[in-house]
Amino acid sequence: MASTSASEATTVTERRGIPAASFVEDVQTYLSQSGLDVNSALAFLQERLQQYRVVEMKLLAQQRDLQAKIPDIEKCLDVVATLQAKKGTGEALIADFEVSEGIYSCARIEDYDYVCLWLGANVMLEYSCDEATSLLQKNLENAKASLEILVADLQFLRDQVTITQVTIARVYNWDVHQRRARQSVQGNDS
Amino acid sequence: MQQAGTSGSDMEVTWEDQQNINKFGRLNNRLHELEDEIKAAKETNDNLEDASNELILTDEEVVRFQIGEVFAHVPKEEVESRIEELKEATSKNLEKLEEEKESVLAQMAELKKVLYGKFKDSINLEED
Repeated sequence: MASTSASEATTVTERRGIPAASFVEDVQTYLSQSGLDVNSALAFLQERLQQYRVVEMKLLAQQRDLQAKIPDIEKCLDVVATLQAKKGTGEALIADFEVSEGIYSCARIEDYDYVCLWLGANVMLEYSCDEATSLLQKNLENAKASLEILVADLQFLRDQVTITQVTIARVYNWDVHQRRARQSVQGNDS
Repeated sequence: MQQAGTSGSDMEVTWEDQQNINKFGRLNNRLHELEDEIKAAKETNDNLEDASNELILTDEEVVRFQIGEVFAHVPKEEVESRIEELKEATSKNLEKLEEEKESVLAQMAELKKVLYGKFKDSINLEED
């Protein structure tokens, strides 16, 4: 998580390709520094908001994928652990497995030293039970670590979205305030 | 989704206020996630309850217990103890989630007090 002290502006300018929204201390200064008039400033901020939303969609999709992958890996670990446990007793493991949707068949799994792991891309490799367990464990840890980073990215992104939304509201209000002030001045003059 | 919308005239927003608003947004998101997770955990708990009830009623010696994608033939006692273990794990998890939810709600209430105190009507922190 990007850490910021309460008295300074953001010390992080971007995180993994996501630009940080700069916090506006004072709307007047912001507008004069950037040289934009109110409408252009609002348009720029709105566009930034859109870009953030696009990135958010992408990150959410990645998060969903990872969240589906992790239980899968845990299930595989379960199966390998069960096979290892059964190996010790010398009994065969009898299991029902799905042949096709709705159709199950019974299998007897006897003395075995190896399991095959599906690695994706039409590749399946044979491993000993211990190797399989450590490979699956490693994959699980990587997936969990990636998920953590992703969650932190999403939090950072949502913070930038909030900052931008608040800035838009403040610029708009400042404009309304200016218009009212101008109108009342004109009212006094005429 | 809750929007921290400001609609005041000349309210100044300091960096600290912005950070409070950000924190509130993050807590709110976490709250929704927690509610979903709690719902899922409760469902799992109910399913395990139903499963152990069914188990008591059945008079078969060998039960098909799902491990991964296959259903292994497991003796009834082992299934009972496995279900007990799963039930314990799920209720512990549920407790942890409920606790986290309480803490998040408390923090959100605090922030609401601070932000409403400063911005009064200019800010909306309610669920729409």
